[in-house]
Amino acid sequence: MNTEHLIERLAKDLTPVEPLRRPGRRAAVWLLGTALYIAILAVAMSALGFATHAGDARLLLPQLAAIVAGVLAATAAVASVVPGYSKHVLVWPPIAAALVWLGTLIVGSLSQRQELVTILSAEHEWLCVAQIVIGSAPLVAVLAMMLRRGAPLNPALTAALAAIAVGILANVGACASTPHANDAITLVWHGGAILVLVLVCAWGARFVLTWGAARRGVSA
Amino acid sequence: MTTPNSPIDDLGQLMRAAQQGDPAAYLELLHKVTPRIRQIVMRQRGFAGSADVEDLVQDVLLSLHAVRATYDSARPFVPWLLAIVRNRLVDGARRYARTSGREVQIDEDDVTFSEPATNLDIEELGDAEALRHAVRALPEGQREAIQLLKLEERSLKEAAEVSGTSVGALKVATHRAMATLRRTLGTKRT
Repeated sequence: MNTEHLIERLAKDLTPVEPLRRPGRRAAVWLLGTALYIAILAVAMSALGFATHAGDARLLLPQLAAIVAGVLAATAAVASVVPGYSKHVLVWPPIAAALVWLGTLIVGSLSQRQELVTILSAEHEWLCVAQIVIGSAPLVAVLAMMLRRGAPLNPALTAALAAIAVGILANVGACASTPHANDAITLVWHGGAILVLVLVCAWGARFVLTWGAARRGVSA
Repeated sequence: MTTPNSPIDDLGQLMRAAQQGDPAAYLELLHKVTPRIRQIVMRQRGFAGSADVEDLVQDVLLSLHAVRATYDSARPFVPWLLAIVRNRLVDGARRYARTSGREVQIDEDDVTFSEPATNLDIEELGDAEALRHAVRALPEGQREAIQLLKLEERSLKEAAEVSGTSVGALKVATHRAMATLRRTLGTKRT
């Protein structure tokens, strides 16, 4: 088919489409749902016997940084499927916020001077890992559906940003429902779970965020 | 069709109208952007043949069509379009690198040898009528490839321009057509 025929066919088969809402608004909708879901998850975990420590002032700064990083990463992920947004402008704010979160945990870890063996043998943290990884699954699925409506310009980057948003917010839920007196344990176990989530999502993006999916029903 | 003097002569406005389902505005938009896309593709892929350039242009147009809902009329149209063009060019280059990595370039062998054994097929395919029938029975794309490359003896580049397909697609069609002909004529002989 030559280009002129293709143009005529595309125009002939044109159907109206609802323009996507601005990335900020789409991210806000997802974040509202996520906040509700994480709150329910945290309350459920508390009901199972875990104390709620959301009001603990010492935990407040890392959690605030985590929430900011989550919000920025979700907004960046949603904006990254809209052509015309600068990749660099999108990536740096959530990375900076995530680094602040990591920084607060690293500073806390250094002041507590916990031994590595103690950190790695904190078996109760598997529950947090499960909460972050398994609890994130519905959030990832909803966000992936939203992202598939856009243009898969940088699938791995988009998925990594989405995973950072989901993982870091699920971490806030896990920290709210489970006592975390030790920053080193939070850093290693929660950080490790989020890193795994980011790597898996970035790898799997090639199968989910594809031009093939975007072009479904459109062919030359 | 919308004339250049109409109120919606801006690309962004044309796309906004296209999002609402106006085919005339969309046709005008595609006619306006296609030469620009072609120009960018030719600049970036100077080494590519005209068929490959058109393949990339069509790829961009299909991608633009697929994600037209992502255009925000409050934002400028050209950066939106350029982001898609850049992305498709990068993907095209990756595809090309992957494909060419699997292809093996071989020198063309002489088709005529003095050894009688090499000429047996030609002698056995002496039934021109059977060959004509077999060629007529081929699917349209394969028949056109055989007609242009084998019967009219055009170059791949010329044949691609005439047929409006890519060189790669022509090679595949020819290969399949030759395999079908061998199978058909071979079956008839036995």
